[in-house]
Amino acid sequence: MTATATSPIRTPAKPFYFNTSAHLLRITRQKANTLAEFRAALRECPEGSIFQHSFRTLEEHHFIREGFSNDFAHWVLSACNEPSLAEGLASVDVREFTSVAELRERFVRIVENFLQRTPASGSRIARETFYFCASDTVIIPTSFVAHTLREFAEGLRRIGVHCVYHHFIEARLRLKLMSNDFSQWLYEDMGLTETARQLNRLDIYTVTLNDVREQIIRIVERALT
Amino acid sequence: MEPMEPQIETEVPAKESQPDPGAFSSSAEPAHQERRKRARRTWETPPAPVPAPRLDDYRGIVGAADIDELRFLAQELKGKTVKMVNSTAVGGGVAEMLNQLVPLLNEVEVQTNWEVITGGNDFFEVTKAFHNALQGSDYQLTQHARDIFLMHNEQNRQRVQFSEDVVVIHDPQPAALIRARQQSPQRWVWRCHIDLSSPNPEVWGFLRPFIEQYDAAIFSSQSFTRQLAIPQYLFYPCIDPLSEKNKDLEDSFVQQVCDEFGIDRSRPIVTQVSRFDRAKDPVGVVYAFKQARKYVDCQLVLAGGGASDDPEGAAVLKEVKEAAGEDPDIIILDLPPWCALEINALQRASTLVVQKSIREGFGLTVTEALWKGKPTIAGAVGGIPNQIIHKLTGVLVHSVEGCAYQIRYLLTHPDFAKQLGQNGREHVRENFLMTTNVLRWLLLFRILRAGGAS
Repeated sequence: MTATATSPIRTPAKPFYFNTSAHLLRITRQKANTLAEFRAALRECPEGSIFQHSFRTLEEHHFIREGFSNDFAHWVLSACNEPSLAEGLASVDVREFTSVAELRERFVRIVENFLQRTPASGSRIARETFYFCASDTVIIPTSFVAHTLREFAEGLRRIGVHCVYHHFIEARLRLKLMSNDFSQWLYEDMGLTETARQLNRLDIYTVTLNDVREQIIRIVERALT
Repeated sequence: MEPMEPQIETEVPAKESQPDPGAFSSSAEPAHQERRKRARRTWETPPAPVPAPRLDDYRGIVGAADIDELRFLAQELKGKTVKMVNSTAVGGGVAEMLNQLVPLLNEVEVQTNWEVITGGNDFFEVTKAFHNALQGSDYQLTQHARDIFLMHNEQNRQRVQFSEDVVVIHDPQPAALIRARQQSPQRWVWRCHIDLSSPNPEVWGFLRPFIEQYDAAIFSSQSFTRQLAIPQYLFYPCIDPLSEKNKDLEDSFVQQVCDEFGIDRSRPIVTQVSRFDRAKDPVGVVYAFKQARKYVDCQLVLAGGGASDDPEGAAVLKEVKEAAGEDPDIIILDLPPWCALEINALQRASTLVVQKSIREGFGLTVTEALWKGKPTIAGAVGGIPNQIIHKLTGVLVHSVEGCAYQIRYLLTHPDFAKQLGQNGREHVRENFLMTTNVLRWLLLFRILRAGGAS
C-alpha cells in the first residue's frame, strides 16, 4: 500500500506489517466420552489442544454472533446436556489469558468444581465423543503495510478476517500481554493511548469477527479526525 | 474403488442402462404424474466436462484476501514436486476432487502430477472387499487376497517413478507403495477418505504396518481415525462452489425445474437429496414429513438415484413409494447421476433441506445445502456434526420424531431458520470449499518441509 494522504497523526516509529496465520488441524490421542474422561483429557492434552478449542475455534466460527464461545462449552451443552457447566466454560474469555497453561487451569478448575458438586455426572456417557485436536500454524505475510494511521485504517478494510484474528485475538499469546498487535502499535508507535485502550475493550463474543473489524475501523477513523 | 462420497453424481451407468427421462418415479396421483411428465431434456446424456476453474475465479466467492493468502503460502513451495496416487481416474469422489485440486496446485507452481495405479479385476475385487471390511463389513482375509494386493502394489511400484518431494497416496488400494520410499528428505502422506472407526481387525492389522511407515495420515473426520504412531491431520472433504452442483443459478431455471417436476414453489418445500439407500433413511423422512404436515403445510421432495442400476436401491425406492402411498405432496425423483444442475435447482428451491442419515460418510449433500444457505436438518452421524453445529449452523436429529418436530419448528420460525442458513453458508465458506482444501495441502507441504508435526 502506498501513502495517499498525510495523516494528521504523527508518523509512527515503525510501520505496521499486516500478517495472517493459517492453521492445519491435527488429531491428537485424547478423546472423551464422559465428563470424567473430559477432565482427565483437559489435564493431559497438549497445549495446542487448549489453544485450538478456545482461541482457534473463534476464528473457525468467526461468523457466529451469539451462542458460541468455545468447543468445550458447546460439547458439554450439546452432547452432555449440562447447561450450568456449559455456561461456566462459555464464560471463559480467552482475552483474559496470556498463556495457554493458565487457560487450561481455568477450564480444569471449572470442570473439577462441577464434578465435585455433581459427581454422578462424571460417568454419564455423552451423546457424541469429544475429540481433542490441535493445530499447526504457519504465519503468512500479506501485501498490506501501514506507514500512517490512514494507511492503517485502509489496511483494516482490506485484510481478511484471519488477519484480524491473528493480530487482535491470538496476538496476546505471542505478546504475553493483555493486549493485541493493533493496540500495541497504536500505543507504542503512534502514541494513541486512548484509541489503543478502546480497541482492547471490544467484546469479541457477542459479534462476528467482521463486526469486530468494523468497530476497530470506526475507532481508528475517530482518531483520524 | 468405492466412491468417497457415494452420492448420485459418482458413478455414471453404462449407456444402455440410462433411464428413460420420462420414467422418473412419482407416487403422486395420475394428474400430478401427468403434470410432471416433461419433454426430453439435456440431462438424458452426461454433459460435456467443464474446464477446471482457476484460483482467481474464486475471488468473488471467498474474497481476495483468501486467494492472496494461498499465493503467499505457496511462494515458499515454488518448484517443489508432488505426486498424487489413487486407483481411479474417473468416477468417485477422490478422482473428482483430484481433478480440481491438481490444476490449482500447479497454478501456484507446486508441480503436482497425478498417477493412477493399474491392476486386474482380481486386485480391484480384493480392494473393494478391503474397502468394505475397513468400514466394518464382515470379511475373511485370506493369504490369496494378501498376495494379490501385494503383487499389484509391487507391479505399480516397479512401473512408477517416485522422485517427487512429496508423495500422497489416496486410500488403501495403493497403500503398500510406501515400499518405494527412498532414503531422502522425501515425505510420504496417506490420505484416507474412508471411515476407519470400526475396521475389520484382520484387514486393518494387515494394512497398519504399511500406514505407519508414512510421515503423516489424513482423515476426513475426527471420528474416522485410528490410533496411529504417525501424526494425523484433519482435511474435511469439500465442494466446489463453481461446479454445476453448486454454482449460482438463475431463478428462472430453478422455476423451470420445479415446473417440470410438479413442485409448487408457492408452498414450503422440504427436500432430501440422496441415493435410495437405507443408510439415508428415506422412509424415515417420509414418516417425519407426514407427522410434520399435520401441523404445517408443505411438500416433500425426495431426489436421488441408484435405483436403476442397483437392486438394493430399487428395493428401497419401492419401500419409499409404499410409505408415501398416494400422497400428492410427496414427490419422488429417481434421477440419473449427471443431473447436477437439476439437483442444484431443487436444493435452491427448497425451504428446508433434510439429510436424515442413520449412517453417513462425510455427508457432502449437507455441505451443498448449507452452501445454498438452506436451513438444514440432519442425522448426527458420520461427518455431519462437523458441518452442523446444533442450533447454530443447522439442527441435528436422532429420530423420526425429532426430524418431524424440527421441520415444524423451522417452517414456523423463519427468522431462526434464515439465521441457521446464513451461518451454515459461512461455515462452508470457512471450512468446506475447494479453496480451503488447497490451503490445507499447501500448509501440510510447508509443515512437512519444516520437519513434520510437533
